[in-house]
Amino acid sequence: MLFSLTTQQLMERPDLWEAVHRLRYKIFVDEMRWADLDRPDGLEIDQFDHDAAEHHLVIRNGELAGYQRMLPTTRPHLLSDVMPELCEGRRPSGPNVWELTRYAVAPGFRDGKRGVSTVGTELIAGFVEWGLGRNINQVIIEVEPVWVLRTLQLHFLATPLGYQRTYGNQQVVATLLTFNDHTLDVVRSRRNHHAPVLARGTPDMLGMRQAS
Amino acid sequence: MGHFDRTLEYIDQVQRAGTAAAVCERLLSVTSNFGLTALIAATVPQPGTSSSQQKDHVLLCDWPNEWLERYLTRNYVDHDPVVSHLKQLRAPFQWREAVQSMPADKSSDEVMRDAREFKLRDGLAFPLITLEGQIALVSLGGEAVELSDSEFAMVSLASTYAIGRAMQLQTTTSKVIEHIELTPRERECLQWAAVGKSEWEISQILGISEHTSEKHLLNAKSKLGAANRVQAVAEAIRHGYIS
Repeated sequence: MLFSLTTQQLMERPDLWEAVHRLRYKIFVDEMRWADLDRPDGLEIDQFDHDAAEHHLVIRNGELAGYQRMLPTTRPHLLSDVMPELCEGRRPSGPNVWELTRYAVAPGFRDGKRGVSTVGTELIAGFVEWGLGRNINQVIIEVEPVWVLRTLQLHFLATPLGYQRTYGNQQVVATLLTFNDHTLDVVRSRRNHHAPVLARGTPDMLGMRQAS
Repeated sequence: MGHFDRTLEYIDQVQRAGTAAAVCERLLSVTSNFGLTALIAATVPQPGTSSSQQKDHVLLCDWPNEWLERYLTRNYVDHDPVVSHLKQLRAPFQWREAVQSMPADKSSDEVMRDAREFKLRDGLAFPLITLEGQIALVSLGGEAVELSDSEFAMVSLASTYAIGRAMQLQTTTSKVIEHIELTPRERECLQWAAVGKSEWEISQILGISEHTSEKHLLNAKSKLGAANRVQAVAEAIRHGYIS
């Protein structure tokens, strides 16, 4: 199940708040080595964790398994303020365009070595479902180029915003993804799971396994 | 028109292509300006895959038929330096880099010598990884390859969109989007079967005849391609129709 929480809602749940920022530290500082994000407390937090951000949490067996953060393009975001060089032409923005950042799957939930895990595809199904429910049909991603092929496999309409660039030992390309109900159908078919993934309300306390 | 605008236009054309052949043609119309006149895009088969099965891995191809046949029947994929290099590297590379990085080997020399017969002297290979974790590549070749950094960036992007379009065309024409439609009643019956209720019990709960509840379960079973009721329940849960 995927829960979408505002920063305020996330802060009201210290267990989730800490799990989120700890997972982000583990992935983006420890694994990806984005040294700029390093902090002594082992939590990764930046200026975009503001009150308009939406946090998507995938919870499996009472654990935080996956995460992504959605930012409105009507406020400063990564493409506008941190990596503007990734965009060659006009930067897409507006209430129907959000930016997806900090896509992360916790190490214990990566199925194969190279493919996208079920938590990974749940995050994708989740943002499409979430977007369609609130008149958002475009999402900006700054990703490694392999993701472009994957988004096309899922029948997103992908449009490059610029050429790929190298940051450290990583290649990054900014891409605009446009989606509709058909995209959601394809994502669900690919996952072999047709039920909605977006949950209402807030998750149980972490560490509490649901009896089922 | 700026360089990037031209790239966008090419990509747009590739995305509008309705067949694999049209994708090939549109990609090559751009790359042939840089000496890249031949194209193959495929997922990489496991070593030991038979040549007829290797054919199924091909997504885009405008190689001369004779060369493709020879490549498949002689199982060149297991000796092609471009393919071996690809498995180790995630970044795009030039064919000649692949040849140089390999220890001299008779069978790989043969592949490259044969390729030259078909005017494939050098080229570019773009490694990619699919959603399922399969290694894929777009390989473009020709007699003399020459392109600037920005042209390389353009070809790289256009290649990704070309193989992506080819994959989309393949899934729309075949299976994948096989959404199974269960009726609300079939779903309800399965839901009760999942908690161990018999056909008679289900009929009492739902206020229908035992015969009708049996019929709903049989229909659901066949829609889900299940052999028996236990498997039907398991499949329905796995697909998310019931919880």
